[in-house]
Amino acid sequence: MAKKVANVVKLQIPAGKATPAPPVGPALGQAGINIMGFTKDFNARTADQAGTIIPVVITVFDDRSFEFITKTPPASVLLKKAAGIQKGSGEPNTNKVAEVTKDQVKEIAETKMKDLNAADVEAAMRMVEGTARSMGITVK
Amino acid sequence: MEWQELTVKTNNESIEAINNMLMEAGASGIQVDDHSAVVVINAYFNERVKINELIPELQVRIDQLADFGLDPSPAEISLKPVNDDSWALTWEKYYHPTRLTRFLTVVPDWEEYQPTSQNELIIKLNPGRAFGTGTHPTTILTLQGLETVIRGGESMLDVGTGSGVLSIAAKLMGVEHIKAFDLDEVAVSSALENINLNPVAKDVEVSANDMLNGIDDVVDIIAANMLSDVIQPLIPQAFNCLKPGGKMVISGIINDKFDLIIDTLVQNGFTISETLAMDDWRGIIATRRLEED
Repeated sequence: MAKKVANVVKLQIPAGKATPAPPVGPALGQAGINIMGFTKDFNARTADQAGTIIPVVITVFDDRSFEFITKTPPASVLLKKAAGIQKGSGEPNTNKVAEVTKDQVKEIAETKMKDLNAADVEAAMRMVEGTARSMGITVK
Repeated sequence: MEWQELTVKTNNESIEAINNMLMEAGASGIQVDDHSAVVVINAYFNERVKINELIPELQVRIDQLADFGLDPSPAEISLKPVNDDSWALTWEKYYHPTRLTRFLTVVPDWEEYQPTSQNELIIKLNPGRAFGTGTHPTTILTLQGLETVIRGGESMLDVGTGSGVLSIAAKLMGVEHIKAFDLDEVAVSSALENINLNPVAKDVEVSANDMLNGIDDVVDIIAANMLSDVIQPLIPQAFNCLKPGGKMVISGIINDKFDLIIDTLVQNGFTISETLAMDDWRGIIATRRLEED
């Protein structure tokens, strides 16, 4: 018989560096997951991406077993990569730190389409473009 | 360490922008609950980040998202300390006695358990803040490896001891003398606590050490249950700390790193005696070559 899903936990944590500290401990401890079991599995599977923030979706079943899938990096991380910057602007209205093209925004929107819960590519592009502008990245 | 949980209530279209602000403000990680129209983002900051001082600026920047075509509403921010005990204790109620191998059973410190056979060996564990339960596939593979190589009376080094479970099991199986190391002070104190729960292991020497750096003991067995990126540089160190014919029992190797670790062992003077598998994980028993080989 298929196991019932008890909970779905969504986290963003550094690849290869999960520890039982927050957010992993509180999120998984409350869901009844073996915390160390998750951190070890996650770190082993993401060791090659160390230094990147990875979204991870953990499905907890009613017997307290779990599965997880790792996603592509957040749109903001993909934007920084496309723009060639390490960090966004702290004053995005006045201090523009980089530029990306509409095509780059579209590519990121398509990559992240499923994760953004957007109705269509246009809606996803609007979210990515807004995220870019909130980081001081101009979209040309 | 003290932690603060900063909560932002927003809606779907502003999640990415707000997550970025929070990570750039120094969050160690983020949890997103988007099960309802109001999305709840919880970001966690350790005590080194003065997040309470950053809140006014974060509020301005979140409100400003409307200028960039994103709706941040309701854009509510709140901050509270993380109650460390609640989540740790919640998790403990799901941890029960588990048979790990043919002979070994791990029993939480707070549970009573009667062995079901004369040969059953009981490891008492309190996962504590290191959260080691002994039930992970990599621990089981390492224990299976130790069951295979231990004859009684050996000397052993336990590298990356964590909860101390491998040292305790090895003592139960007859290893004479064990030194256990871990880089993490939390793990060292957790291992010491667990050793105290298991009188058979009372003479295990536990200390903080980075892998086998500075260790000049030469022993019969080296056990290591760590991830491949740490095991790989450990292998040449292990060669120097093993007697000719000594055994290295390792796990923590995910399937796609298995060939890399096998190659590293062979290049560093080991022969592969046995390999083990469980789920996506592999374990290896490697033998240090004799000098004349």
